Amino acid sequence: MGREEVFETLNGVFRDVFDDETITVNDKTTADDIEDWDSLEHINLMAAVESEFGIKFSMGQIMTMKNVGEMVDIILQKI
Amino acid sequence: MSITSFSFLCFFAVVLFGYYCIPKKAQWGYLLAVGGIYFMTSTEVADSGGWYVIGYPMAAVLAVYAAARLMDRTTEQRKRRAALVCAVIFCIGLLCTLKFFRLPLLAPMGISFYTLTLLGYLFDVYYEIGGVQKNYGKLLLFACYFPTMISGPVVRYQEMEPQLFGGHKLDFRQVTFGMQRMLWGFFKKLVIAERMAVIANEIFDNYENYAGFPIWIGAIAFTFQLYADFAGCMDIVLGISECFGIVLPENFNAPFLAKNISEYWRRWHITLGVWLREYLFYPLLRTGFFMRLPKKLRDRLGKKRAKQLTTFLAMFILWFTIGYWHGGTWNYIIGSGLLHWFYIVSGELMEPLFCKWRAFFHIRTESRGFVLFQRLRTFFLVVLGLMFFRNARVPDALAMIGRGFSAFNPQIFVDGTLFSFGLDWIECTILVVSMLLFAWVNVQQQKGWLRERLAGKHIVLRWIVLYALLFYVILLGQYGPGYSASEFIYQNFKV
Repeated sequence: MGREEVFETLNGVFRDVFDDETITVNDKTTADDIEDWDSLEHINLMAAVESEFGIKFSMGQIMTMKNVGEMVDIILQKI
Repeated sequence: MSITSFSFLCFFAVVLFGYYCIPKKAQWGYLLAVGGIYFMTSTEVADSGGWYVIGYPMAAVLAVYAAARLMDRTTEQRKRRAALVCAVIFCIGLLCTLKFFRLPLLAPMGISFYTLTLLGYLFDVYYEIGGVQKNYGKLLLFACYFPTMISGPVVRYQEMEPQLFGGHKLDFRQVTFGMQRMLWGFFKKLVIAERMAVIANEIFDNYENYAGFPIWIGAIAFTFQLYADFAGCMDIVLGISECFGIVLPENFNAPFLAKNISEYWRRWHITLGVWLREYLFYPLLRTGFFMRLPKKLRDRLGKKRAKQLTTFLAMFILWFTIGYWHGGTWNYIIGSGLLHWFYIVSGELMEPLFCKWRAFFHIRTESRGFVLFQRLRTFFLVVLGLMFFRNARVPDALAMIGRGFSAFNPQIFVDGTLFSFGLDWIECTILVVSMLLFAWVNVQQQKGWLRERLAGKHIVLRWIVLYALLFYVILLGQYGPGYSASEFIYQNFKV
């Protein structure tokens, strides 16, 4: 799977988790850009991403991920 | 020695002078030694002669040090986990035994703070977020850096490492800023908190004699007392540390400007909130049970509700822990734990209804009036919680709240009753003026540091402001010769 495809799939996951069909994420997207992305939703989002890609993040990755770009880097390493 | 005592100020002055006279490489060892002296002269140790308590933090640090080194050396997940579990059980076990089980043992100063700080470091090593400290003495300094031992803040290893061990050159501006900050802390503690305490003590200790507004005046006075006390202590601690060139994380950000309870907890005792979120709440939600629960509930409740219910359950555990930490008795478990859980959960469940009401009454959520309403509502909810917190027994808190609603007596505001709670009209005026100054600064700080702006002003104006505040604190602070302001409230809770 290429970077583009990962972003495409992530868009679907984000739209589903945050119940907002207008969300489009990119490398620089952070929790500040999406209204409902707080510390609670962060864990839900991680779980949704994990089940979508069939991977598992470590707690350290979950806590230190700075933006969607970093999330994609980690996903690409794992799939 | 209490940090508001004259002897502490003398101690600090000598320590600060010495700190900048010695080579930079020796500074961390110097801070460790100073911490040891401070620990040995702390009220708990000095009064009881129980010098052995210094062994507790040293043992906790040793356990964490050994576990972290082991984790660093092996990649075998089973071993790493075993090391983590052993060290966590040891530290939490020590904390609970000394602090919560009410055994006749002497608990060392700051035990909850250094335990949290140490465990945070250990988790970071386990999650491979942070590096390992190979020098036991340096880890001991990280856990027991003396300003943070009093009442926090809870610090992170990655943020502290370069500051604690890097060495500092005398920076006049930073030392001045640190001292200004200490002065501001003394203002909160000695001028405001000590006066608020007079009113709060009178009303909480004799609540059976009061009904209606006096009850609320007492409850609000305690709320301001606790805030001025704890935030004042933080200002002094952060100020002391800044003088050493070590910047600690902020613990408060104008909590009474919060528009809802969740926001309040992001502004009050910030470092504790962050710690609990990252090292308790996240890992809890990532356990097998909490990962599977929404899937199990989904068919019966629908996706959204299933997710919500799981979160509420995890939050229950989180809030119970926060409450328990404050003292292990029900007044704390309810007052600063479960009641706040209830606020957040009910707020979230009722949100659709609130949304309809707002639409029906054509309320603009961003209007000034509505924001003010939200702030006052949040403040009231916090005050209610603190009525449990301050009363040792839950039935007393309930009875007191009941008495608050049992009479309507606005006449007390004009018939002089206000001056019968222990402070005469002069004292009350000083308190109100000080509170206005405090509130003004809080609001101004939202736009950035006032001291930075003050530093940009003309030297004459700068010194007038500083001297005015200094004399204000010296003349109006509640203390006298040989007097030590009562210990900080949070020092007893150790969180």
